[in-house]
Amino acid sequence: MELPNQVRQRLANFSRTVFIDTNRTGPEFYGNPDNEIVSSLALQISLYFNIYFFPFWWVCNIIMLHLKYPILPDYYKFILVTVVILITLIEAIRLYLGYMGNLQEKVPELAGFWLLTLLLQSPLIFFLLFNEGLTIQPLERAVNIIFTFFLTFQIVVAFLALKKMANQLAARFHLQDFDHFDREKRKTHDSRFLSQHLEEFHPTAVE
Amino acid sequence: MGQVSGLVPSRFLTLLAHLVIVITIFWTRDDNIRASLPPSFTSDQYKKEDSELVTALSITLGLFLIELAGFFSGVSMFNNTQSLFSIALHCCAAVSLAFFVFESWECSTYWYIFTFCSVLPAFTEVIMFITVFVLKKKSF
Repeated sequence: MELPNQVRQRLANFSRTVFIDTNRTGPEFYGNPDNEIVSSLALQISLYFNIYFFPFWWVCNIIMLHLKYPILPDYYKFILVTVVILITLIEAIRLYLGYMGNLQEKVPELAGFWLLTLLLQSPLIFFLLFNEGLTIQPLERAVNIIFTFFLTFQIVVAFLALKKMANQLAARFHLQDFDHFDREKRKTHDSRFLSQHLEEFHPTAVE
Repeated sequence: MGQVSGLVPSRFLTLLAHLVIVITIFWTRDDNIRASLPPSFTSDQYKKEDSELVTALSITLGLFLIELAGFFSGVSMFNNTQSLFSIALHCCAAVSLAFFVFESWECSTYWYIFTFCSVLPAFTEVIMFITVFVLKKKSF
């Protein structure tokens, strides 16, 4: 399953503006951008354990919602059901994007993951954690605190991984230009060399 | 080379279950304190029991940090013995603490659960740390 092209374009543009160091002129510190792996181990560990943690978070929240549904005011009933459905859907997409982006070193996917975590999941979880009108139960507090830890850790680590990945991509792009020029130069140099020496070779071969 | 078998997620989930219940007890400790006091008690006695339970819970969280640090840094993540030991103890702790909350046990029982199921795994974790960092032995 791939991201649709338009979304990829926009995320790639976004990554170019936010994550690449624009105060550097060229790839000064990247030794060999083709050999270096920029998948982040810490991010992968946290994603792996997040996948195992999410079903339990979901079960705990659904049970608590079921238990306190009769005593909630009407508007909170609607809000809470919507928030849980939203978090579930976003979490599925987010974890998939994070896995794909990190393991295959794809910048648009990882940028999508980072944006989803920062702009969508975090406010929703803070709402569940800090809004006292929801009659928050102790169990909910505990699992939401752990979920918040996961999210903050992923935000920080994904940002660092994205910077590294985007810079490596830029370095590879710049070095591609140099390879191109080298090849052009070698082609013209070789053709001149051959045309100069062809007359000398030809007589010796015949005799 | 150690393998990522089912032990790693199991250990993580049992650790997390124990952690979740310990955090939950922070908010539900009122029942347990009342269970360990006589029917008529003064507010001083209540405060004394309360601070004792809060201290126990805080030390538990500290020991958790040690064990989670060892687990996530990879020192003991792939060591099957430590993982099995940790899974068994934290499983017992999670079940016992669930009883602790639902049956409103006394605060003194928490110290037993604490000794067996929080101190022991943290102790073996520290031994793993010493083995890996000081004695330079591979942990798997």
